[in-house]
Amino acid sequence: MHLPLTSLQNGETGVITATDCSSKGHQMCGHKAKKRWLKHAMTERCARRLNDLGLTPGTKVTVVKSAPFNGPLEVSVRGSRLAIGRGMAGRILVDVER
Amino acid sequence: MSHNHFRIALAGNANVGKSVIFNQLTGLHQHIGNWPGKTVEKAEGTLHFKGYTIDFIDLPGIYSLSTFSMEELVSREYIATEKPDLVINVVDASILERNLFFTLQLLELESPLLIALNQIDMATKKGITIDIKKAEEILGVPVVPTVAISGKGVYQMLETAIEVIEKKRKTEPLKPRYGREIEERIEDLTILLNKIQLKYPTRWVAIKLLEEDSEVEKEVFALSPEIVAAAKRMRGELEQLHGHSCPTVVTSERYHVAHMLSEEIQTITEPLKTPLSEKLHTVTTHKISGYPIMLATLLAVFIGIFSFGDFTSALLGDAFFSLKPAFDSALGTGIIGELVWGGVMEGIIGGFTVALPYILPFYFILYIFEDSGYLSRIAFLMDNLMHKMGLHGKAFIPVMLSFGCNVPGCLGCRIMETARERLLTAFVVTLVPCAATSVIILGLVGNYVGIGWALALYIINLVIIFVLGRIAFKALPGEPTELIMEMSAYRMPHIKTVANQTWFRLREFIVMAFPLIIVGSLVIKIADVINLLEPVADIMSPVTVVWLGLPAVTGIALIFGVLRKELTLIMLASLFGTANFAQVMTPVQMIVFTLVVMLYIPCVATIGALVKEFGGKKALLITVIEILLALLVGGIAYRLLTIM
Repeated sequence: MHLPLTSLQNGETGVITATDCSSKGHQMCGHKAKKRWLKHAMTERCARRLNDLGLTPGTKVTVVKSAPFNGPLEVSVRGSRLAIGRGMAGRILVDVER
Repeated sequence: MSHNHFRIALAGNANVGKSVIFNQLTGLHQHIGNWPGKTVEKAEGTLHFKGYTIDFIDLPGIYSLSTFSMEELVSREYIATEKPDLVINVVDASILERNLFFTLQLLELESPLLIALNQIDMATKKGITIDIKKAEEILGVPVVPTVAISGKGVYQMLETAIEVIEKKRKTEPLKPRYGREIEERIEDLTILLNKIQLKYPTRWVAIKLLEEDSEVEKEVFALSPEIVAAAKRMRGELEQLHGHSCPTVVTSERYHVAHMLSEEIQTITEPLKTPLSEKLHTVTTHKISGYPIMLATLLAVFIGIFSFGDFTSALLGDAFFSLKPAFDSALGTGIIGELVWGGVMEGIIGGFTVALPYILPFYFILYIFEDSGYLSRIAFLMDNLMHKMGLHGKAFIPVMLSFGCNVPGCLGCRIMETARERLLTAFVVTLVPCAATSVIILGLVGNYVGIGWALALYIINLVIIFVLGRIAFKALPGEPTELIMEMSAYRMPHIKTVANQTWFRLREFIVMAFPLIIVGSLVIKIADVINLLEPVADIMSPVTVVWLGLPAVTGIALIFGVLRKELTLIMLASLFGTANFAQVMTPVQMIVFTLVVMLYIPCVATIGALVKEFGGKKALLITVIEILLALLVGGIAYRLLTIM
């Protein structure tokens, strides 16, 4: 099952299939070409940040818990612990066995 | 460089104990500045060891050598072009895989390398055993286990470092290999790249081209646009093959190599008991216990700092003012004496009675929080709230600092990732009531109108911050960056490192703020001596008297407040000739006055910090916006309150 990371239960583990940073790349400035370029740049930045911290496709990631009031997720990945904002976590798609 | 004078760079992830090692090595022989033209901190220090002089440079803590952030770019440029004699890669033994991912990139940059396997004690507690010999064999570079906080292994690390530099110890650094499809293309690119002159290693450039690194692409494009075009074609092929963007594919494979390496080097057994640091983490980030603990901690810190500050500030003030008679007899009470005392000396006194009693403990506690790891837990808990004003959890830290003083708050905005976020945070930060503003809120409104009204003012201020934060967030172009950070295990802060960091920050504050405060005091004192203040107050009266309904003399007080906000209260008392404000101001006037003081202008030191971090134009913009805001809010409050 492909799900955004945010829909995992506490303690559940998934394998990352893709990081979809493109969907929310809306911009508020400039003309169209610049807009598209910016969108591309933002998407790239977001994906790279996730990748650099080890959230690459094929990686196992466990949701430890989430902060209350729709706060960030605490995940365990590659033997380390990360806090990921909810918006960004929603763009990480994972494969879960249920 | 002479044969016994070396340059060594310390590189590694954030929170691996790099700064602790740096402090162990260089002590107070440090120089902390900025990288030229960047707001990235540059820490340098010197060590004399066995007849050698070694210059150390502590590179910023980063996870990758791409160009995502200025920190990464700065580090990469330093290693690649300044070519230090050795790079010591400080590695957190308890999070080997992620750390090796960075090590692999250093190996790709072909920098002479030594690995300091730090926090080896923490790894043991987590049930991780590392085969050092095997690590050395595979990586082909020396690996020295260290426990930076106790200094264990640091001496041996130094000896090994010198051996490597003097080539007494042979190294055969590993060349990380990727999958066949990538390797083929790296090879093809390398052949093309061999025809042009580059300041970087060829293989590394080839890899970076596949990673779509804009900086490297730019440099290669200037020499040979065809190579960039070829790389683009290859990226397309790889994307077809793997179904992910090419940079993602390369990073994935690099992480895969790091994973395989760590599997070979370390063995993990379940620890017998949960380490204390883990228990602490669970409690302090728990949805029920996390918030009360945070509130109690912050409250204790604030009460502690303010009571310490009040006490020391008064003590210091008294000590300084006891010098006045000596001053008067030396310079006379004439115009020069008055200028020197009222301008220069009172500026210095003002600076000292704020810097030492309030800012020093503030920085100290901040670094304790940061070093121990609690700061990232606070960011975790506060992320959602900060989102409401368009920021994320990390921004809570500069905001929190600003309740003490806006200046460290502004400087603290550096921890935000993008220029946009830094500016947004700075804007919010300058609206936070600092310690001096609190003195006025509590001293004027709290004392004479009622504590309830004082509290109401704080709430109004918070509402304004939220509303304006949101507006600024909507008005500034760009995508919001979200929180993503490592929450490394809790550890004992290293007091010497914390003390050093505090001292360098304090010095930075003094160097930046004191001249501004002193020059400001002098200018205002001169205006006072030549009787310019009252005409200015008269010019301001349409605003102060008509629009805000305040006594005309408050104009003068507001001018002084630009220097330091608590001066408004002191000036007001001396202008009215009484400190019993109930006799000279109505409750409405006190509330309006305090509202204006809270918002009207960042003090001169804060403006200085803004100029330093963001340039004059943006500093001016923030200042003007806030003056207009204060007048707007003050005027509305005056009218509303008089109707009531």
